[in-house]
Amino acid sequence: MKKMLTLVLALMMALTMIGAASADEVLTVVTWDATTTPYLIAQEAAFEAANPGVDLQYIDVASQDYAIKVGTMLSGGDTSDVVMVKEITDIVNWSGAGYATSLNDYIAAENYDLSGFVGMEANYAFDGVQYALPFRSDFWVLFYNKDLFDAAGVAYPTNDMTWDQYAELAKTMTSEGVYGTHYHTWLSAVANWAVCDGVNTLVDGEYSDLAYFYNLYQGLEDAGACMAYNELKASGLHYSAAFANGNVAMMPMGYWYVSTLIGYNNDGTCNFNWGITAVPHADGVAAGSSFGNLTGVMVNEKAANKDLAWKYVAWLCGEEGAAATASTGSRPAWVSENVAGAMSSVAGFPADEASKAALLPSYVAVEMPAADRVSEISTIVNEEHTMIMTREIDIDEGIEEMNERFAELFE
Amino acid sequence: MAQTAAKKSGRPMSKLERKNTLIAYSFLAPNFLGFAIFTLVPVVFSVLLSFVEWNGGAMTQMKWVGLENYADIFKIEKVIEKFADGEFFYFFERVDLGIALKNTIFYTIITVPMTLICAIALAMALNKAVKGAVAFRTIFFFPYVASMVAICVCWNFMLMKDGPVNQLIQLFGIPFNKSWTADSTMAMWAIILVSVWRNMGYYMIIYLAALQGVPRELYEAATVDGANKWQQFTNITLPQLQPTTFFASIMMIISCFKIFDVVAIMTEGGPGRSTKMLVYYIYDVAFKQNKYGLASAISMVLLVIVLIVTIIQFSSEKKFAND
Amino acid sequence: MSQAVIKKDAIKKDNPTLQLVGKTLLYIVLISVALFTLVPFVWMISSSLKLDREVFAYPMKWIPETFRWENYVLIWQKVPMVTYFKNTAFIALVVTCLQTLTSSFAAYAFAKLNFKGRDVLFLAYIATIAVPWQAYMLPQFIMMRSMGLYDTLWAMVVLQAFSAFGVFLMRQFYQGVPTELCEAARIDGLSEYGIWARIMLPLSKAAIATLVIFTFVNTWNDYMGPMIYLTRDVNKTIQVGLRRFIQENSSDYHLIMAASLVSLLPVSVVFLCLQKYFIEGIATSGLKG
Repeated sequence: MKKMLTLVLALMMALTMIGAASADEVLTVVTWDATTTPYLIAQEAAFEAANPGVDLQYIDVASQDYAIKVGTMLSGGDTSDVVMVKEITDIVNWSGAGYATSLNDYIAAENYDLSGFVGMEANYAFDGVQYALPFRSDFWVLFYNKDLFDAAGVAYPTNDMTWDQYAELAKTMTSEGVYGTHYHTWLSAVANWAVCDGVNTLVDGEYSDLAYFYNLYQGLEDAGACMAYNELKASGLHYSAAFANGNVAMMPMGYWYVSTLIGYNNDGTCNFNWGITAVPHADGVAAGSSFGNLTGVMVNEKAANKDLAWKYVAWLCGEEGAAATASTGSRPAWVSENVAGAMSSVAGFPADEASKAALLPSYVAVEMPAADRVSEISTIVNEEHTMIMTREIDIDEGIEEMNERFAELFE
Repeated sequence: MAQTAAKKSGRPMSKLERKNTLIAYSFLAPNFLGFAIFTLVPVVFSVLLSFVEWNGGAMTQMKWVGLENYADIFKIEKVIEKFADGEFFYFFERVDLGIALKNTIFYTIITVPMTLICAIALAMALNKAVKGAVAFRTIFFFPYVASMVAICVCWNFMLMKDGPVNQLIQLFGIPFNKSWTADSTMAMWAIILVSVWRNMGYYMIIYLAALQGVPRELYEAATVDGANKWQQFTNITLPQLQPTTFFASIMMIISCFKIFDVVAIMTEGGPGRSTKMLVYYIYDVAFKQNKYGLASAISMVLLVIVLIVTIIQFSSEKKFAND
Repeated sequence: MSQAVIKKDAIKKDNPTLQLVGKTLLYIVLISVALFTLVPFVWMISSSLKLDREVFAYPMKWIPETFRWENYVLIWQKVPMVTYFKNTAFIALVVTCLQTLTSSFAAYAFAKLNFKGRDVLFLAYIATIAVPWQAYMLPQFIMMRSMGLYDTLWAMVVLQAFSAFGVFLMRQFYQGVPTELCEAARIDGLSEYGIWARIMLPLSKAAIATLVIFTFVNTWNDYMGPMIYLTRDVNKTIQVGLRRFIQENSSDYHLIMAASLVSLLPVSVVFLCLQKYFIEGIATSGLKG
């Protein structure tokens, strides 16, 4: 059935190519959920408007199994021009197998500006070769409930808080029936902050850098400033409901939650005022540092039209493509005043300057970078995370376990 | 034996026999085709898969690695090395497979007897002429047909820190005040509790059927000899139920080794690795880490264990049959 | 029987207080176990009629202050429960029909017909009962994916419709049917198909009821299969959908309980209707050992 579909699709493509004669250049982009994802539709329209004579066509692959299906396509010599990169592990595999074109020459020839990626592009570079560029990034920010702060007469959180100041603030905001902050049960919500310094990662085998954040968390839990992990886990409370219930003053969460909250405001699920700031920073780490996940694009080594493919990649990841992405409320990877302006003008976005400034991170690390046996490492740190969070073992023991099990994995 | 074989193969089939065979095959075909394609072939294939390295992509990406997957899951070198150093239990304390095995075995040896004891007790009680026996029987059996997702969520709520179960045990002066699933020790007991609660009704019905087959005369004779109720139970009822008990415990051991739903819904193997069981481990390696070869090797361990249990059952069944 | 025994029996019968105490104790035990069994369901019902914040109120109330029946309306609006129900019903019904039909067909051959390779084939069936599904679910998954069945309801159908268990169960039952009955029918000129339809089927009501309950319940409640095979929302079954509902509406405990309860209803109805046969079926087939 699927084969039939591809065949029909290919036939249709061939027909349109003949029909349009040589007037239109066709650019094929492999992606997922092409018909339902708003930013893909916006990007297509904007790119075709900016490049008359180019016909952008998406090859839609089911989002589950994206990696497996695209890997199979590429190994079969598929000649699509551009391939979207869903997970960092995908680009590791595909560049390793020789499916991805090196972008180094293109970047050098055009003197392409990488500064707007605030370090994120490094996750797509291996041994000095840039194989892909990011066009979307959902980094983490701090959400807060303005109404609760107003009621308590406490100043709003700022974009340059340290974690210690944040913890104090959380305790100040805690009162009968109100939690100062909220941590979802994930490792990323509690301890992933250690990677914001750009040095530490979750795959380096050395986890003592997480201790500070676990201590911070347990201090807050003991003070009753956040809901206890054990109860959260047993009840399965979701972060979206936890914050929307209106009894939580602050919550660090991924940027994607902005659109959820705007939706809640619109349908009346919650009706308080909220804002965002940059996540707090540790001492010695620049304010505005965060971490997040990336979506990128690469040029197929067997692309039918490599130059056009690069043109698209450069456009999509840069300022103009970012504007198209931002217009649908999605968070582009490119960081700039214009992008922040576009994002904050989305209806329902908090109107204050601080929230807009939170859209300009100084650095974005990746939550879990590509590495050998990364899925096993992820299992290990997450298992020990649950041990620390349930207080079945103390923090130092837990970190010792992570280190040891990491070492055992690579013996 | 040899004679019959020779007779069978040596003599061509008569027309009637051929017709009968064809009829028989026509009866079998609908089920057998589906069974062969969707069960038999995958079973054979799974053995092969445990010898390759594969991430689930194109078939051409499969790489034959021999016994490497097995060496990997057993961490064979490391375990031997540690054994030489005097750390005899390294496998069960540090290696994922060892921990999963240890947890699964612990779960099995607690759950099976507990369920059977409850099942016998209930069956004995209902075997008496009690009013409302049908109602009781239905109630006890009901958890068995209820869906695991609904049940597990419900139990998860009930076993929370301030949930009804903790409120109840605090009435008895037990100072336990933690969510069961957030405690390394109690998480396992939560799973055991739900399993026993769910299965006891099913085995109760099996025992009820068996109890009806125990001859009345045996009890009458025992009463003549002056045996009290307990003596009757240990000397007549239990021995008479022995084949049933044996069959039931084998069935339960096998199903305990296959436990997945409760773990996936209630604890996700946690906290840490405290409720990581064999099948949950397979699921994790296959569908989260995409290591299909490795996962198949772990499946083979499960397969071998279940086969051993089954062989014990078959050989003992013969013993019972001969008795 | 000797005089002494009768006397002893008489003494026992004549001690009504002792008997009463015993009976009372028995009932106390039975009722408390029944309560233990039912507590989660009662709690489910009670929670499903409360407000979300009342669910964990301390001390807990078993009877809600006001019954919020609207919870049962809300759940249908929050997630496509109707789709989930339809999907599950489709799978459960098709699987149950296919399973019962093909199993009783095959079982007749195994129980009452002589043919070449019968024992070997039956052994293959038995052997796969012992093989845990988890041991071969991976190759099965890969096969299904390459057949284009991934994320379709038919994947769940073919996965469960041809289990060896059904054949085993029906064969055990048919073996209990006297062979003379078949012989007589053959002499009367009935074909094998006729014997199966006119004699075996009507006789095996209890066994079929047992198989229907087992299959229907297992398919309806199956969690791991749909979780692996079905990904799009339009294809999800009630169990996977319920799980999704729980994850997305995690603080709406009252709705979770209402949805869970609704998901239990069809199975309960099937069970209550067929339970008389079912228990008879377990007792007469080989299942009791």
